[in-house]
Amino acid sequence: MTNTLHRRGSVEELSHDFVMFAIPARGINDAGCRPKLQQFIRLVLRHGPVNLGDARQGQRHSDDFEKLIAGLTDKSIATATFDNREALLAALREVQAADLGISINVTGLIDTVDGCCREIGRRRHGVEHSLGIKGATDRLPNRNVLAVGTLCGHGMVSFNLIQRVLQLIKLNKLSPAEGAEMLRRPCVCGAFNPERAREILEQMRTLG
Amino acid sequence: MGVIHIGAGGRAQVNEEECVECNNCYRSLRPEGRNPTLVRAMRRLLRSIHLSYEPPLDVCPTGALTPPKLEWPRLVRNFFSDVLSEHGLTGVVGRGTEEIKTNDVTGRLAEGQVGFAIDMGRPNLGVRFRDIEKVAVALARAGAQFEPKNPVTGLMVDPATGRMREDVLDEKVLSAIIELQVPLANVLPIVRALDEVQHELDTVFSVGIFAQYGPDNAVPYQRPLEEAGYRLSPNGKTNLGLGRRSA
Repeated sequence: MTNTLHRRGSVEELSHDFVMFAIPARGINDAGCRPKLQQFIRLVLRHGPVNLGDARQGQRHSDDFEKLIAGLTDKSIATATFDNREALLAALREVQAADLGISINVTGLIDTVDGCCREIGRRRHGVEHSLGIKGATDRLPNRNVLAVGTLCGHGMVSFNLIQRVLQLIKLNKLSPAEGAEMLRRPCVCGAFNPERAREILEQMRTLG
Repeated sequence: MGVIHIGAGGRAQVNEEECVECNNCYRSLRPEGRNPTLVRAMRRLLRSIHLSYEPPLDVCPTGALTPPKLEWPRLVRNFFSDVLSEHGLTGVVGRGTEEIKTNDVTGRLAEGQVGFAIDMGRPNLGVRFRDIEKVAVALARAGAQFEPKNPVTGLMVDPATGRMREDVLDEKVLSAIIELQVPLANVLPIVRALDEVQHELDTVFSVGIFAQYGPDNAVPYQRPLEEAGYRLSPNGKTNLGLGRRSA
């Protein structure tokens, strides 16, 4: 699905948010691709991702990367989230050199990803943009809650949970980092960026 | 969804009409296995002296919630809402489509074509198939060719009109993607159809647009959209073109 596409924020805020994922094409190059997905995770792990995951397994192994790697299958979508361009570029360089033969996508600022591709001599295949949210937008919460919620495009981090976490942060019962970690857990695919969530929660702590 | 509340008897109740069967509550909450009678008694006692028990957010003290066994058509809620549920039609987890992500291998979207992924109910509000049908019908009238390997298309009785199966119309899901492609020249009619139909809905949808890069590394749909006053997001998804068919 388009689970990483509609992330919200200013250009400055989005410059700390990149998601890279490896996805086999069903019925075409998925048979026997498990070792390639495992190699992908091992490669990106060297560059300090702030989250890792596989939508097939959920986040049960999120703190045990060997379990995550062992649990990958031919049907997995392996995902790594980074909070800076340098880590993304270094990971991209290694993934390209490994020549895994499976589709690799990066969600983030298009111009920044373009720059990274130019640095590694890569011509991009395709692109997907967001044209925004339409419909009964009056039912949506405020900008910051929306920015946190859209870090999980599968919709597993509910607006109610974000608002409850924020209440507890304002009451000093949770730190922004603890709150961000609490919000990371329902995201099953590894695309949630807890570092960016922490920054937003930190801002919201003192806002009205 | 906010569908769980504590009822008058002190027991957790689920609004089944609004529940989308995403299974997030079972997956995210750690059951502590405490005796329900004891927990309710403690809560009543604490409330009588203006105190409350506040467990960590990811804890269910009694493990009160259990996943139901679903039957058709309610089963469709789980297919579209539970990220770990695999669609029978596509074999893909989540909302069930690969769109541009594997296009370097599949070639589903040719040069000169533009794809749309209309993510109904997103972010987080959910959607009934009755509303999905309204949008699909509007898109069909605007010339959409719905992606045959998409699970929403699989529930249409006639992809030429966008009409959905009668038995799923009242089912609610967390989100579902209408996926289609049109020639570049037909991009604006699709976007305008979305602008018009949005006012008929009590929910939201997020619009994704995708294509292969042109020979000059340009985004094919950028110019016509910007000239018509639409703004593309600064962020998005890039397929790096590293995939290939197995030997």
